[in-house]
Amino acid sequence: MQPAEAMTIEKNTDRLPYLGYGLGLRVEHYESLLEEPGNVEWLEIVSENYMIPGGRPLVWLDKFRERFPLVMHGVSMSIGGTDSLDEGYLARLSALARRVEPAWISDHLCWTGVQGINLHDLMPLPYTEEALTHVVDRVRRVQDVLGRRILLENVSSYISFADAQLTEWQFLAAVAERADCLILLDINNIYVSAHNHGFSPLDYLDGIPASRVQQFHLAGHEHGEKLLIDTHDAPIVDDVWNLYVEAVRRYGMVSTMIERDDHMPPLAELLIELDCARLLAKPLLRAAA
Amino acid sequence: MSHLQALQQRMLQAVLADRPPQSRDLQDDARADTSTRLAIYRNGYRVRLRDALATEFPGLGVMMGRRFGSLLDRYVEAHPSGHYNIRWHGAGVAAFLEYGLPWRDKPALADMARLDWAISTSFDAADEPVLAAADLAGVSAHAWANLHLLLQNHLQILSTHYNVDAFRRAADHNDKRPRMRRHDAARHLLVWRQALTVHYRSIGMDELSALSGAIKGEPFAALCERLSEYRDPADALPRMASFLHRWLADGLISRWLLD
Repeated sequence: MQPAEAMTIEKNTDRLPYLGYGLGLRVEHYESLLEEPGNVEWLEIVSENYMIPGGRPLVWLDKFRERFPLVMHGVSMSIGGTDSLDEGYLARLSALARRVEPAWISDHLCWTGVQGINLHDLMPLPYTEEALTHVVDRVRRVQDVLGRRILLENVSSYISFADAQLTEWQFLAAVAERADCLILLDINNIYVSAHNHGFSPLDYLDGIPASRVQQFHLAGHEHGEKLLIDTHDAPIVDDVWNLYVEAVRRYGMVSTMIERDDHMPPLAELLIELDCARLLAKPLLRAAA
Repeated sequence: MSHLQALQQRMLQAVLADRPPQSRDLQDDARADTSTRLAIYRNGYRVRLRDALATEFPGLGVMMGRRFGSLLDRYVEAHPSGHYNIRWHGAGVAAFLEYGLPWRDKPALADMARLDWAISTSFDAADEPVLAAADLAGVSAHAWANLHLLLQNHLQILSTHYNVDAFRRAADHNDKRPRMRRHDAARHLLVWRQALTVHYRSIGMDELSALSGAIKGEPFAALCERLSEYRDPADALPRMASFLHRWLADGLISRWLLD
């Protein structure tokens, strides 16, 4: 890995290109997306699914690359982890980026493991000055390796830390400003975490600088016994749609996609949800124009 | 050790623990206590690993039936995941079955896991060129003795006394569970990917020997010599020609070299 000072990235708060309305690419929709893509304007791939030597997934990937703008979304960078950054992982991620030439690369504001053990989950960080300094340093190093700014996504969480000094949105905004990275705002995750921790989702939106917001995720969740669980296996609920409207009101035209991971419906159902996102945003964007 | 590092280590232990503890690191509130909150991560970790393993080991699932779930639970408890790609957690399953009680007394299970894993790793192995029959047309007759056939790097050969391939086939085609059969002599299974599809088939001792020779880099003449150990030496060349024909049709050979 190159040292942090080996390459500098110009501080630039301009957004990357606006891509419109897209979907998370999933195996279940490979064929239908190529045959009848409907209103899908771009696709987000899960980076790790294609960080492989060869075979069928990469053949499909190349087909989608010919037809759609792609962005890469990872789940394993562990940007908040305290183990060393995984140089092998970053090398494979860079290699995939050279193949895909994505509009941007994102991962999550979280840690995924420690002491060499991977929990395969998006573990929340304590929102402290110590964690902030740690994450900012790692984001800068990753951006130097990748040669571009990355997007960090807010995660759904079920725990919060007793020694927190900042709110989650203050922490996310501070990371973005200090590391000069961008933000992938998951509207459903804000809703889920707001319910689970008892904060106002509107306070969250108000605390995020518009100039840093590059992408929205929309998804569904489940009601657990006491808390909301971020399952991505259900349609988007009305409260999340309402929060999405509030987000569009604040941030304007932001590339938006639906992220469905389980209980996969036919593509047509997701296309209807995508149209719903368009319809809700349209009057706000027209008014702003 | 930083405060953050120590905190993450305590969280890791809490997620891996048999029962999620109450934690003073975490904020409690009226909605749910810290133990309930940690249980979501604890359960999620186990469910994700179980689901990933079940996907990678469908043949083992058919072979074990209802006991498959408890095997996965035991494996997940004994082996925390160490790779960023959850799928690679399956790399240790065959060894776990081979050496761990009570499964080590049933060697068919480890053999089954090896076949499932070989199929899984062949699926996204590196792409290599595939030699066609026409590519060999230019090899002159006198050069054949010194011809080296380079096989696909991902190709794997497994040995077993059991009909594990029948269980995998049942899983692939959603057929009913076959009867377990033990063969006195070891059976050999070849696993490879042709284009984008992974295949497996049983091979005889003579084909095993010829393939092993090719993998070791022996020239064509030596492969024929190996076959003469299994049949009349006069039949060795036609038999090797027959194998070559099949290997080309199956896409097993990536390229050729001459000494």
